[in-house]
Amino acid sequence: MITLALDIITTAAILFIVAAGLLIVFGVMKIVNFAHASFITVGAYAALMASRFGLPPVLAPFVAFLAGGLIGAATERVVVRRLYRRPLDAILATWGLGIVIGQLVTLVFGREVQFVPAPISGTLEAFGVDYSLYRLLLVPAALVIAGLFAGLLNGTRLGLSTRAVIMNENLAQGLGIDSTRVRLITFGIGCGLAAVAGALITPLASVDPNMGLAWLIGAFMLVMVSGGSLLTLGLSCFVLGGLQVLASTFISPILGGLTIAVLAAVALRLRPQGFARA
Amino acid sequence: MPDLATVHDVTAPTPLSSSSRPLLRVAIAALVAAAAIVAGPFVLDTYTVNILVRAFFVAIAALTVDVLWGVSGTLTFGQSAFFGIGGYALAIVFTQFGFGPGEAMLAIGAAVGATVVVAGLVGWLSFYPGSTPLYASVISLVLPIVLVQILYSGGTFTGSSSGLVGFESFDLTLEAWFRLSGLAVIATLVATTIALRSDAGRVLGAMRDNDERCSYLGIDTARVRIGLLVVAAVIAALAGFGYVGFGAVAAPENAGFVFGTQLVVMVALGGRGSLIGAVIGAVVIEVASAYLSSSLPFVWELIVGVAFVAVIVVLPGGLLGGLRDIGRAVRRRGAAASAPVMLRTLEQPDAAPERDAIVVEVSGLSKHFGSLSVLSKISFTARQGELVSLVGPNGAGKTTLIRCLADGRERSEGSVRIAGHSIERLPADRIVGLGLGRKFQAASVFETLSVADCLRVARVRRERPSFLKTSPVLTLPAAARAVVESSGLVERLGDEAQFLSHGLKQALELAMVLALEPKVLLLDEPTAGLTRAERQGFAEILTGLVARERLCVLIIEHDLDFVRLISSRIIVLHQGRIALDGSVADVVDAPLVREIYTGRSASDGCGVTP
Amino acid sequence: MTAALELIGVTSGYGSSPVVHGVSLQIAPGEILALVGKNGMGKSSLLKTILAFLPVWDGAVRIDGRDVTRFPPHRKRALGLAYAPQEQALFQDLSVRDNLRLGLADDRSFEARLADVSGWFPVLTARLSQRAGTLSGGEQKMLIVARGLIAEPRLFLMDEVTEGLQPSVVDRLADVLATTRRERGTAMLVVEQHLPFVLGLADRFAVFKRGEVVDAGPVDAGSAARIDEHMRL
Repeated sequence: MITLALDIITTAAILFIVAAGLLIVFGVMKIVNFAHASFITVGAYAALMASRFGLPPVLAPFVAFLAGGLIGAATERVVVRRLYRRPLDAILATWGLGIVIGQLVTLVFGREVQFVPAPISGTLEAFGVDYSLYRLLLVPAALVIAGLFAGLLNGTRLGLSTRAVIMNENLAQGLGIDSTRVRLITFGIGCGLAAVAGALITPLASVDPNMGLAWLIGAFMLVMVSGGSLLTLGLSCFVLGGLQVLASTFISPILGGLTIAVLAAVALRLRPQGFARA
Repeated sequence: MPDLATVHDVTAPTPLSSSSRPLLRVAIAALVAAAAIVAGPFVLDTYTVNILVRAFFVAIAALTVDVLWGVSGTLTFGQSAFFGIGGYALAIVFTQFGFGPGEAMLAIGAAVGATVVVAGLVGWLSFYPGSTPLYASVISLVLPIVLVQILYSGGTFTGSSSGLVGFESFDLTLEAWFRLSGLAVIATLVATTIALRSDAGRVLGAMRDNDERCSYLGIDTARVRIGLLVVAAVIAALAGFGYVGFGAVAAPENAGFVFGTQLVVMVALGGRGSLIGAVIGAVVIEVASAYLSSSLPFVWELIVGVAFVAVIVVLPGGLLGGLRDIGRAVRRRGAAASAPVMLRTLEQPDAAPERDAIVVEVSGLSKHFGSLSVLSKISFTARQGELVSLVGPNGAGKTTLIRCLADGRERSEGSVRIAGHSIERLPADRIVGLGLGRKFQAASVFETLSVADCLRVARVRRERPSFLKTSPVLTLPAAARAVVESSGLVERLGDEAQFLSHGLKQALELAMVLALEPKVLLLDEPTAGLTRAERQGFAEILTGLVARERLCVLIIEHDLDFVRLISSRIIVLHQGRIALDGSVADVVDAPLVREIYTGRSASDGCGVTP
Repeated sequence: MTAALELIGVTSGYGSSPVVHGVSLQIAPGEILALVGKNGMGKSSLLKTILAFLPVWDGAVRIDGRDVTRFPPHRKRALGLAYAPQEQALFQDLSVRDNLRLGLADDRSFEARLADVSGWFPVLTARLSQRAGTLSGGEQKMLIVARGLIAEPRLFLMDEVTEGLQPSVVDRLADVLATTRRERGTAMLVVEQHLPFVLGLADRFAVFKRGEVVDAGPVDAGSAARIDEHMRL
């Protein structure tokens, strides 16, 4: 019972970390970044490189953020910028980008599966059960990320400009905000965040060029359901992630993997704009 | 301007086989291709033939993606799921029951049956009034994922992750398979080309260009899309059936999300919307993959990925689109390449002025967004033969009122009757059927369709279009024909609508709406952007419509000179309420109206918001 | 002397339909020009064209003598231009304070400028942390104007700022604008339907009809009657 509860909480945390970057891009730019999966992969490989170079594991997420952020900003500048008026094409183009990035990673690192040792191993005794310490630490990690973003968005001038662009881009431009620059920074941060997610989940799963894909659809559906609000995303991760864990445990792991996609599709049919203002 | 009462029939003579010449070209091309297919196995080596058979079946699936995406505008990742259903139906039946003619019939039946059910369900889920293209794409994405998971959890029945192998299948030679699959591609290509070029097929392009306009022409776009999805799904399923029948292996990869996106990539590279581009894209990529993925494993996919991104960003029309653009630049822009069109006037009984019935009854109409009230207890009636102008300052609720009349789901309270029938909560396309025509402020036409095709689509509700042919005759009611002729559109019937001037687009939209033979016409700021001459012509058309055809016309206008000129009645809206409703003389000099328009004087003391 | 704003034969529109036809006008530094005319005649579109929300098909826009025709909207603020749109002019979900902050390029001088705002419209400084959407219509208009003035612009474009306002508020607004012009030399282009307000404030007027200036002149005793003729229903 306790194990189940801990499974739910940690799964929600992982889903949140993976989906947050996608949400930020969708909220500001109103397009879906299907290259998100490949940035998760980039982050994972960045963590791999960091460990190979002997850097302390704590630094891995930061290295990943840098790598993902820079590559993301570059792709916004070159590709994504031209597609704002064609949102469906933006999905396709970012999907293509994802393929390109994934193939480049494969060319450099090869196709074999790699393993990154967990920076912190072992278990913790929590509420009477032994549970993976690393998994438990992802919960505060998710909270830290959420907190950082809330802080950035609400406490800084850049955050104010970004919120203005989200609410009404034309008005923001009329007030002197360079929305093009805001979009560039946002896309870079979104991709950087995907990379951080990749770096954080490597100890839990193996690292291979296609690892990001499995997360993409779930993250995408969660973002659609949450309609652009970070808070609602957290709640959706908790509710849908929890249902996924329950389905996997009590019905079957394979069908459990479908839970998020199917329930989110149904939820969107009932309320197409998402649940941000429920 | 020609007198409406004396406009007669046919003016231009019909050239021989005007609609059959393009069909002739298609038939010839098909025969040549068929000959090449029959000859193929003699020239090509076994390995290539093997690859091509698979490529042909995949090409059919890609073709269905093009019809859904390139032609009708629904991006779909899910055709792979139907391909997989077809293939697995065969594999499961042959594994469970063995091979034989009866089993083969059962397999086809199962494939088609399962596909129709699933496609119908998916269509119902994806296409409903108010759904967005993004949502339909989302569903199409979820479908193959769900299917693959079901396959994985099916144990030995579905073969799980390894798929089904070792079942006995159709015993044809490689050459026979080649001819069968090749001819199947050609047949599908010919059939879809004919269907899409037909009058009925035009509707798909119209829906892609402007879904809202289609609804307001009385077309139930949701139902059309669902029907189209079912047909496309069945075709994809049969292709999958053939694919697995040939290879005798059914694998989850043939049903999954990645394959679904590969189909989209093939269509994008070949040229979305061109049909043959999808086939070429599929064949080229399948063949190249087979040859190159062993020698250059990762680089090949990288090349495809880069090409895909480049095409989406820079060359959305793909290879064939690029060629077509070059061809168009070489030829004169907008040159009519289609067959000449004949106009015919619809026989209509003359309207009798004595029988001017009430056609619009609005009672207690209100519209609010939460606590914000936009319209408040609006009530009025209007008869045939009346030209009512709706005026009022910005924010008075005029466009909202039009929306509430044209779409039964818009209003919050109150009732609306059009031609004696209550609109209840009917969607726009059903209200068009009651006799309402709505013309939008920004000329809402079908940009990539020719003028003649735009008008044909407008007639779809009244005349069942053919699924096979393009009729050389375009029948229009007298009013619509008069607009086409007096505006000069009659000389541009073959030109694409996007190349028309603003004034001509407005005229085209008006003609399209008049082609519906409406009893009530709603116009939203129709003179915006028109030249003085165009406005004059428009005024004449409107007064003619009201006087001779006894239409009831409701027009939102800001140009008060125009209003004074043409109206029989003026309704002044202010802050969501009717401030005045009367004849031109009553309203024009009323002091209340001047106050509404020119602001309050300091002595007035009636502030609005505290 | 270089004009604060100069339009030379400006033509623009939406999609394929032109809404502004070859408009030319000039505003000297510190001058207030009233742009009047009936609805739907293109006055708002003209303002949007100056800001480059609508593409300029022909002609030129100059601010302080500099050709800014092709400058994207967000660069106009740096030129000393402030804009109060008619619709969707506030971020409803942001606080009054945040809306005001966005009137300035950065936060450095914000607290100092707040003193100005409380001088113009004390009710705003009393409600700094309230969401802008919860203010009354009149208070929202005051906020829009305050946000425009807070950056001490050289040129302030206003679109129907008195719409829906009580007479007392209209008077206050006229006071604030007149004082600002006097003390800081702010030039203004005021699009208005409320004639008494705008004629009491402006130096010159121009009548806009169907995308063109059909009449113009200095504001004097006969202006009201002259404009009335054009506005006749």
